[in-house]
Amino acid sequence: MIWKVIQNPTLGCNSFLIGDEISGQGVVVDPLAQVGVEAYILSAHDLGMQIIEVLETHVHADHVSCALDLTKELSVPYRISRHAPAVFAFTPLADDTRLHYGALAIDVWETPGHTKDSVSLILYDLARGLDPWAVLTGDSLFVGDVGRPDLVDAGETAVRLAALDQYHSIQRLMTLPDWTELWPAHYGSSPCGGIFMNRRPQSTIGYERRFNPFVHMSDPDIFVEETLRYLKPPPEEAESIRTANLTA
Amino acid sequence: MMTLTVEHLKAILESNQFPVIDIRLIRAFAEEHIAGSQSLPFRQEGWAALVRQAITEPSVVLFTDNPRLGTAAKEAWEQAGGTVVAVWDQGLGPWKQLGAATVQVKPVTVDELAHRLEAFSVIDVREPYEWRSGIIPGAKTIPLGTLSERLAELPKDRQHVVVCAHGNRSLTGAAFLAERGYTTFSVLGGMALWLGAGHPIDRWSID
Repeated sequence: MIWKVIQNPTLGCNSFLIGDEISGQGVVVDPLAQVGVEAYILSAHDLGMQIIEVLETHVHADHVSCALDLTKELSVPYRISRHAPAVFAFTPLADDTRLHYGALAIDVWETPGHTKDSVSLILYDLARGLDPWAVLTGDSLFVGDVGRPDLVDAGETAVRLAALDQYHSIQRLMTLPDWTELWPAHYGSSPCGGIFMNRRPQSTIGYERRFNPFVHMSDPDIFVEETLRYLKPPPEEAESIRTANLTA
Repeated sequence: MMTLTVEHLKAILESNQFPVIDIRLIRAFAEEHIAGSQSLPFRQEGWAALVRQAITEPSVVLFTDNPRLGTAAKEAWEQAGGTVVAVWDQGLGPWKQLGAATVQVKPVTVDELAHRLEAFSVIDVREPYEWRSGIIPGAKTIPLGTLSERLAELPKDRQHVVVCAHGNRSLTGAAFLAERGYTTFSVLGGMALWLGAGHPIDRWSID
């Protein structure tokens, strides 16, 4: 598997170049405007990878995406959840679909909560095995924490419903095998997470199953109350950044 | 440096004054490239040093299909003291419209190869230590670095299939042969997929 994580340590963002070595085909996931289109193009070339599509786990509210610019420059599809309220054209990602790039397979699971358009991407190297190897959870499941439910609509009813969605999404992610590597879109002090978010950019499903406090909350009501109780103040520019990412 | 039209590019190439370096990925180069061009895929680290090893002239023409890559490679070569005569970043399309010559390597899957093995001359370009995992029955072992010395062993009237461990070096070998008038294929995924699919092998004793 071709694999490179490109990070922005200031904002605690993970972005990814993932591909299949045999066919040289691959994708960019959650590219960051602060890193820039050029860095993704040159890095993919260094890795011997042709960018076939650009995927996003959700419409981001903490950083500006360069996914649309990248897709325009390379004339490749931009893919985001069918629920994303974007005003530009994109190729929708739907629940329970499998994408193929050579021997790299990516299963799309809708994992709403942080946003309605949140998806998790489950990665398989079919040249090595049929089991999942890693999951990109976007802002659904973090290392030690879960994505906050209040950045799209901060009204209490909306936040409670979103938190309940997040509960079910987390439960679904927990059906993955223990060894599955967990790669969220954020780590450290990212404003998209809560006070328990770890500084490590990665974990495993098994480790989170054992030690993530939100995964241990088997009662949805408790999960919702605890999520609300620990909410940090929202980042100042969340709304304008989200709007920018929706309108390009 | 001038802005280039495809006619200019053709004139420059026909003058035979400057080497044309194709900076695209080896996969794209093998699939199809301008006849006479040389593959040196751009990398952010150490690329200019590789060009220096491969080419004695300081002035080069760069060929790509991506303007970002063209700019980065031009900067890297100039920083290393070289001169870039021209950058062509519009890919093969306009070049082919002009009816100019290209060279192609076709891909072949391990299943297709196994099915019609007798139809091909198989050339294994791996290093001797890699033969331990077995070789395709009837394959000629010619490590990539010695291919140019052993062209006499390869009849021009046969279809040559080049194989390596994973399907990268075979592209280089196959493109090298295609450039010299051989009909060549490169095995997708190389011996890793041949062995993975359970196709027959000859065991190779290293002693």
